[in-house]
Amino acid sequence: MDFLFGYATLFDAVLISCGLALSQYCVLRAGVFSLATTGFAAIGAYGAALLCVKQGLPPAFAIAVALALGATSAFVLSLPLARLRGVFQAIASFSFVQIVQSILFYSESITGGSNGLNGIPKVIGTGWLFLWIAAVTTLLWAIGRSDIGRALGAARQDETVAVSLGIDVANLHRWTFVLSGAIAGTTGALIAFHDYSLMPETFGFVLLTDVLAYVIMGGSLSVLGPLVGAAILTLLPEIARPLADNRMILMGMILVFVMLYLPHGVADSLRLIWRQRRRARVPQALVPEVQAHG
Amino acid sequence: MLGQQILNGLTIGSVYALFSLGFTLVFSVHRILNLAHGAVFMWGAFFGLYAITKLGAPLPVAVLFAGLGSAILNVILDLATFRLLRRRNSPEFATMVISLGSGLILMNLAQRLSETRVLRYPFGTFPLTIYEVMGLRISFLQMVIMGSVVVVLGFFLLYLYATSFGRQIRAVAASESTAQLLGVNPTLVFMQTFAISGALAGVAGLLIGNAYNSVSYLMGQPYLLTAFVVVVIGGLGSIIGAVVAGLLVGIVHSLSIAYIASDLRDAIVFGATFLVLLVRPTGLFGQITSEKRVGHA
Repeated sequence: MDFLFGYATLFDAVLISCGLALSQYCVLRAGVFSLATTGFAAIGAYGAALLCVKQGLPPAFAIAVALALGATSAFVLSLPLARLRGVFQAIASFSFVQIVQSILFYSESITGGSNGLNGIPKVIGTGWLFLWIAAVTTLLWAIGRSDIGRALGAARQDETVAVSLGIDVANLHRWTFVLSGAIAGTTGALIAFHDYSLMPETFGFVLLTDVLAYVIMGGSLSVLGPLVGAAILTLLPEIARPLADNRMILMGMILVFVMLYLPHGVADSLRLIWRQRRRARVPQALVPEVQAHG
Repeated sequence: MLGQQILNGLTIGSVYALFSLGFTLVFSVHRILNLAHGAVFMWGAFFGLYAITKLGAPLPVAVLFAGLGSAILNVILDLATFRLLRRRNSPEFATMVISLGSGLILMNLAQRLSETRVLRYPFGTFPLTIYEVMGLRISFLQMVIMGSVVVVLGFFLLYLYATSFGRQIRAVAASESTAQLLGVNPTLVFMQTFAISGALAGVAGLLIGNAYNSVSYLMGQPYLLTAFVVVVIGGLGSIIGAVVAGLLVGIVHSLSIAYIASDLRDAIVFGATFLVLLVRPTGLFGQITSEKRVGHA
């Protein structure tokens, strides 16, 4: 049993990556190319930590506030972002992340600036992290199987068709945004209560690329994708220690190869292959023509 | 004081313009947001540095080296990644992710090469002469930077608007399939635009490496972020927009560091980017018809 505790930190890291990846998955699944997850996580983390350290509020309350903060800021951001698509959405949401980060650096009297925010009580262990990821996964899985899930798939594949089918795409995008913000905000708060201290540079360009890589690696068609992607990419540098020095090459190669050869990501590509095999066993004439990724 | 700050801003802004020009050229012709552009820029600084320290080349040769090296690097990047994607007709999301990945690879290679050190150009690469013009202090380096930006920009416009190659590039930008029907070889155009874009980034890298006298594998990232700002404010795909917005952002940078707070610099320019995207998504100089960039909602 003891040797398992040695891996507890690693397991925690995987769970935290999973939380952020699930938030990023939410928006990508709906066809919104937003990179704002990192910004929401920063807001949640600093919001919760400041409430607890400076105001002396209990951590449970602070985490709840972080959830609300993440959701609210996502709602506010979704209003302007609704006007943009594709690359422009990506740049605008990226600007948001940069603005949040540079305000964290600037307001040194409140956030500690580049010295970081220290002395946060550690109240979150592996158990709570696991519970949170399990809850979010269940929720997203249930949404994915419902009518909303099908509407999200339609909106991602072709927005014009989705609108013509009577799907309120603008509304759908707004709520996936709020969900993504709530998940990121809470995960941010969990990071704060897990790590003792916070630094503004944690929530920058590097985290943003990492989180995006998790979802791309795993795939953004099912809730399994971000979990698999986050697990692989967090564990890989640890398992292959000699590769740790060349972490960026590893990351870069994975991004390039997955995009070129497994455009649906590892988990979803396997799932699609498996589904095709199963379908092949049934006489083809009986199977209605279904889009490969629904 | 104000005049001096504006002059410094113009110097740095002209490098931003040079860097963003290549970025916006590739986007306007091929609809590729090349996130590896910052890494190519950084390699330009490395090429120039090694030409001077290892080969003992004089400065003009080093500039040539930086431009040529980065041009070749960018063409290789296109052939190795974007070309494969084009065959599959992938969405812009895939190209962005791939360029992000190849940028990381290029950065890591530079990190290995430099052993994570910050390198410097040898003392006296640029003569340290400072002139006084109308109460403003302007160094020889600043004059070279602004001068070379004007020269490069002149050649660039001449190439694009006065040669048949340039006409081919513009034809592909308007419509790739139509251009192909008219006998334009798109592969050749891709190679040209990527070579030009790489060369501009490489020269910008060498100039910046000299201006701050520091060359490291991480130096490309902030400039890539600045290029976002420049091309959005100027209008993605607009050449004149990239130049004007580059100068503007340079001035705002140097003024906000001098008069407000250096930490707020990013908040100011990215806030401006956000506003421009909302109020006028085509940028200050973009054409409204050029891009499907505004959603249905």
